[in-house]
Amino acid sequence: MRKVAVVGIGHTRFGNLSDYNLVDVMAMASLDAMEDAGITEERTLIDQLFVANMGGGIINHQTGIASALVSRIAMEPTPAELIENGPASGASAVKLGYMAVKSGMADLVMVTGGELMRAVTGWKGTDFVATLLHPDVEYRYGLTLPAFGGMFTRLYMERYGLTERDLALVAVKDHANGAKNPFAHVQNECTMEGIYDGPNAEVVNNYVAEPLRLYSMCPVSDGAASLLLCATDSPLYERFKKRAGIVISGIGSATDTHCVHNRKDPLDLEAVRISAERAYQNACLTASDISFAELHDAFVILEIAISEEIGLFRKGEAKNAIAEGATKVTGSMPINTSGGLKAKGHPVGATGVSQVYELVKQLRQEAEEGRQVADPVHGIAVNFGGFGNNVVTTICSKEFA
Amino acid sequence: MLLDNMEKKLRPPELHMTPYPAKLITLTSGEKMVVREAERKETGILLQTILPLLGAPKDFYDVVAARMYSEILGWYRYRVANMFVLVGAIEGEIAGIVTSRMASPEIGISLHTLTIKRGLRVGAQLFAAKMEHHLDYLKQKEVYIVAESPIGFKRWMIEYDLESREDRYPEVQHELGGVPTYSLTRDLYEKVKDKKVTGIRPVPEEIVAASRPLRVPTEYSQVPNSREEKTA
Amino acid sequence: MINIDFSAYEETRPKVEGVVCPTCGKLHYPAPMICDRCNTRRDPSGARYSRWETTELEGNCTLLTWTRVHALPDGFDIPFLQFGIVEFSNGLRASGLLKSENPEIGMQLTAIADVVRETGNKKEWGLVFVT
Repeated sequence: MRKVAVVGIGHTRFGNLSDYNLVDVMAMASLDAMEDAGITEERTLIDQLFVANMGGGIINHQTGIASALVSRIAMEPTPAELIENGPASGASAVKLGYMAVKSGMADLVMVTGGELMRAVTGWKGTDFVATLLHPDVEYRYGLTLPAFGGMFTRLYMERYGLTERDLALVAVKDHANGAKNPFAHVQNECTMEGIYDGPNAEVVNNYVAEPLRLYSMCPVSDGAASLLLCATDSPLYERFKKRAGIVISGIGSATDTHCVHNRKDPLDLEAVRISAERAYQNACLTASDISFAELHDAFVILEIAISEEIGLFRKGEAKNAIAEGATKVTGSMPINTSGGLKAKGHPVGATGVSQVYELVKQLRQEAEEGRQVADPVHGIAVNFGGFGNNVVTTICSKEFA
Repeated sequence: MLLDNMEKKLRPPELHMTPYPAKLITLTSGEKMVVREAERKETGILLQTILPLLGAPKDFYDVVAARMYSEILGWYRYRVANMFVLVGAIEGEIAGIVTSRMASPEIGISLHTLTIKRGLRVGAQLFAAKMEHHLDYLKQKEVYIVAESPIGFKRWMIEYDLESREDRYPEVQHELGGVPTYSLTRDLYEKVKDKKVTGIRPVPEEIVAASRPLRVPTEYSQVPNSREEKTA
Repeated sequence: MINIDFSAYEETRPKVEGVVCPTCGKLHYPAPMICDRCNTRRDPSGARYSRWETTELEGNCTLLTWTRVHALPDGFDIPFLQFGIVEFSNGLRASGLLKSENPEIGMQLTAIADVVRETGNKKEWGLVFVT
């Protein structure tokens, strides 16, 4: 049976890379992935490029980015297309790459996601992300994704008794992981005293979209990540002996209502649940098989809500697990060992690919000391587009698990 | 110290300036920063701290560093009227410096804000402390403020909702470059004070003592080669 | 002492540049991220691989093809512009503005760097081909 292995991974530093060019940054990650796989000299063996980016046309004034990337890495005449699915562009590109290999149309593909958000001011960046919203009934009010994050969080607190302290605990854990990840945008750690119960916490960790504070939200980042996917039954797989053994065991995706106010239950992230169900089914696994997870914590509340929605904890109970330290690297369900979007950063088009990069890095047991999970077997990544109206879930596993 | 007549002529007249009471701020990283007034005898360390940033053209660090260097040297030599310098220090290591002065009993003129330790809102806290000194301790009525960098503009003009005095230009201008100025009035300050100004007083004596002597920062993220630069 | 790169303050003479692969010497315009002849990588930050040297595009060139355009994009408030693609003797090719009364394919032109676009008060420099 044809399986899809991840045989090469590449990642740039996330942070402020706006001195450089968007496509150059994406090329950097792409060439690093090829170097990791050992095929830079023979890169024309790659059948197709799947490129993810959300804002190139709006904030970087560039379109046709997939084609531009081909020339930047001297890979003519390799086919290439751009995939745009909001902040889930990255995982969608992984999904389409996976489908190309699984279907037999390609044996070896490259998936690269990248974004250069800091090329424009913070205001323009916020506006750009807000274009995900419904133009007539949401965007025009000045609503933003953080605004919906705030409303979701407030409702969540009322229904499940979640507190700001719970949110702070997650941030502290994410930053502790990020501080050990050389690619992470934010390398500073934060403490409970500093962001929550200290005498100055209210001011230094100010509200951004109540009840979400500065330290409940991910930064605005630049960066790119890249993967090479190869069919395990292709003669090409032989070349990747050193990198063999890790596969994408399942992928699923789903959509939900565009307008947040039209969700059946505003706290049910249906697209998350269904995409995860599909991924589990695809992989013949259940939530209890998962060893660790990379969950889309653009707002810290999402790490909590998504972990419950995909069955890692029961609804409303993630906070108990978090308080016990279960989601730390050393815990029973490590979440966001990379630092998550919170500390690693969130270049929107790159994130989905970056999450799978982390799954593979952990499964290879090559993560930096202090953030390596002990003996992981199956990892799950959830990439959340819009405010949850388009979600892609990817599961990676050791090939012979 | 006995001043001769020439020196007396060259020095500006002095207003009475209440000292700034030191405070302690816990930053998000858990580090504790003492915010206190710097003394003239600490000029050497301050100048040494600022000097490397003359070589950092990004984010306007070079022009802010150059101007602040001259302000502090001018203050030391008694050639700037009624100026004060506040420093933020973490266990004695300088994290940021702000300069400002009283133009008259009512009007303050904010000079510069220089953050060396980035990512922890040190600059925001030191700027707030500067305003606190002008309005709460020096009991002034308003402070003129301008910005060299877009970051400054966002953090002050927008977040403090400063009043523009552009319509009174050039009669009313800021001495930093003679540009149109903005103002933080007492009313505007009272509106944002709770959200902007923080810190505990009094600072325990041992902690204030630990902030002496001040030390030059060990790393400057603004200056390449000051530490290991991670690659793209 | 302190490290100040005073060249950061120089008003540089505008030039249009290609790059030279440090390993095999191949010229490229614009700069790629990898040399297609010898697979040497380029790192614009200079942190991981040595920076590639630049080569100025200027002087004598041959006109390969050209056009006169009467429908220009937003911001160009003039009736028409002429563009051409040229080839330099070192093999590099480039697009640019063509300032010639009677352009003919094959004619010899001189490439200079000049202002090609003004957005607000920001001037953008590029290649202009003149007779």
